[in-house]
Amino acid sequence: MNSPNTALSPSFARPPSRVAIRRAASYDVDLLPILRETLREFDLPLQGKSVLLKVNFVCHDPFGAISTHPAVVVAAREAFLSLGAASVTIADGPGLERDIEAIAESMRLRDFIPSLSTSLVDLNTDDVHPVALKTRASTLKKLYLPATVLGADLVVSMPKMKTHHWSGVTLSLKNMFGIVPGSCYGWPKNILHWAGIANSILDINSAVRPHFAIVDGITGMEGNGPIQGTPKSCGLLILGNDPVAVDATCARVMGLRPERIDYLRRAGLLLGHLHEEKILQIGEKPEQVQTSFAVLDDFRHLSMGLKPNGNGTPLATS
Amino acid sequence: MTTNFSGAPGSQSFRNILIQLLVEAQNSDGGWGYHRAGQSATEPTAWTLCALHNEDRGPALSKQISLGKDWLLRNQLGDGSWPSFASQTEGCWVTSLACLALHEIAGESDAVMLGFEWLCHTWPRTPNFWQRLRQRLSQSGVVSRQNNSLAGWPWTNSTGSWVEPTSYTLILMRRLAPKHLSRLALKRKELAEAMLCDRMCPGGGWNSGNPLVYGVPGEPLVGPTVWALLALRESAELPQVRASLQWLEKSMPQIHGSVSVAIAHMCLEAYGRHIPGMDSHLQARFETDRFLNNISVTALAALELNPVRNFFSPAAQEVAAL
Repeated sequence: MNSPNTALSPSFARPPSRVAIRRAASYDVDLLPILRETLREFDLPLQGKSVLLKVNFVCHDPFGAISTHPAVVVAAREAFLSLGAASVTIADGPGLERDIEAIAESMRLRDFIPSLSTSLVDLNTDDVHPVALKTRASTLKKLYLPATVLGADLVVSMPKMKTHHWSGVTLSLKNMFGIVPGSCYGWPKNILHWAGIANSILDINSAVRPHFAIVDGITGMEGNGPIQGTPKSCGLLILGNDPVAVDATCARVMGLRPERIDYLRRAGLLLGHLHEEKILQIGEKPEQVQTSFAVLDDFRHLSMGLKPNGNGTPLATS
Repeated sequence: MTTNFSGAPGSQSFRNILIQLLVEAQNSDGGWGYHRAGQSATEPTAWTLCALHNEDRGPALSKQISLGKDWLLRNQLGDGSWPSFASQTEGCWVTSLACLALHEIAGESDAVMLGFEWLCHTWPRTPNFWQRLRQRLSQSGVVSRQNNSLAGWPWTNSTGSWVEPTSYTLILMRRLAPKHLSRLALKRKELAEAMLCDRMCPGGGWNSGNPLVYGVPGEPLVGPTVWALLALRESAELPQVRASLQWLEKSMPQIHGSVSVAIAHMCLEAYGRHIPGMDSHLQARFETDRFLNNISVTALAALELNPVRNFFSPAAQEVAAL
């Protein structure tokens, strides 16, 4: 966890970040070559390393619109192993449903990964260690965090591309809420709500900044996300070595202005790059795949005002 | 290994396997972790003690129970509360579980009453004026419709009331002799029961979030529903109990997670509803993935498989006819 990638540093001191946008029409497409070839372009130091895929397993999800799809998770796992990783662990600490096995069953995870007991770690019940927070966006100062996360050489945040009724969007930074263990903080992790969702996102990611992000945007969610929204097919996978740049790119793809998403704008100060000129795009350009995600009225100010089916045609600028 | 229903030889041998796993998973400090060789933690220690004590095997398990009990007593904080892990210095939601386990083993000891006193004086946090105003001015409509003046218990200090920690404390209160319930305790009980009724999802059942967000009903979850129903066991006439019981019973065929199956069955049995085949269902789940090696799940499953358990004991006849 001590690679330069984890350091907090101001935007001007960071080299440009790289974000890849890849098309994948559905979960039936062979995702492994797409992910493997894209990961190869990032030249990550994977040889002999332990990789933790911090997925987003939220709750019962029989239709594949809420949680990171197992097809993406398995393809990522295989891709990291084929590129030299010594081990790949799939992990999450769901915030609402305590029974991670029930979530896995509802997603048919077992069809993709036969032995859950050796591949899936419930971060809610992992051993914990105290971690002093490096930033003071919230008043939390310290959190107990899972040993499995702290011991991983490479943490990969793997969210679903969704809107969120409290924070605007939930992407690779917000996904890190799931490393906060329910054993200590409950279901939901209400302490983070009282500390301020945006502030907590910043403090958690300052403590454990993901080294890499892979966003499942094949089917996302719009409207009253992260659970009760409407599925949105986008046919995209978005990957990168800077979670802020990945999330900013996702926001642009969703037809939202990243600089107006409070936590993302502030993350752009110390955690990564927000601005397009500091992000080297690989594959598709955001404007080529842009669509318009519906948002709740409280978040209308985030919208670029694209037509409902997007593709880069602004209705209005504000 | 075959099983069919509670009390049958197959079920007994499966239960023996689970008990043996629990015995072998005890740490040298006397506690149990969430996983074998994991850091000792209050929740798995409490559930394991309940499971072992309910086995009623006399001296056979007395050493393990005694060591586990000592671990709990050693880790009680000065203010009477318990932290989740021994290394922590602030008490939280597991306090009611530690009290329940100690009460199960040794009745109303000083440690239990000190923990209960802490619970009685632990109040949840409620939204301040500005937070309430912001919610009221939300452009997206009414954020959530719940009465925050009905105080239950929080997961951690200085946070709001939630269904599960509130239910655990109410279950503890039900097990304490009435003479130990002070005026404050009775007031808290009344508020907490009203809070549970207020938080029920439209149509029955409870979840871990808000029952209604921006006008959209939340989906109930098995865990919170089970614990709330067990907490309201003496108020079976309430329409919320009937509706939620009905939801749980209807949901049984779709419940697949091991811990959900175990506690849902235990809850239905406490209301006098016996669903055949549940024990073999649980065994099949164990054989697939060994409950993901989770000690709390193993303990709750062992408890559920015990037909003569004192804890959440099965009712002889149906309670709260639908």
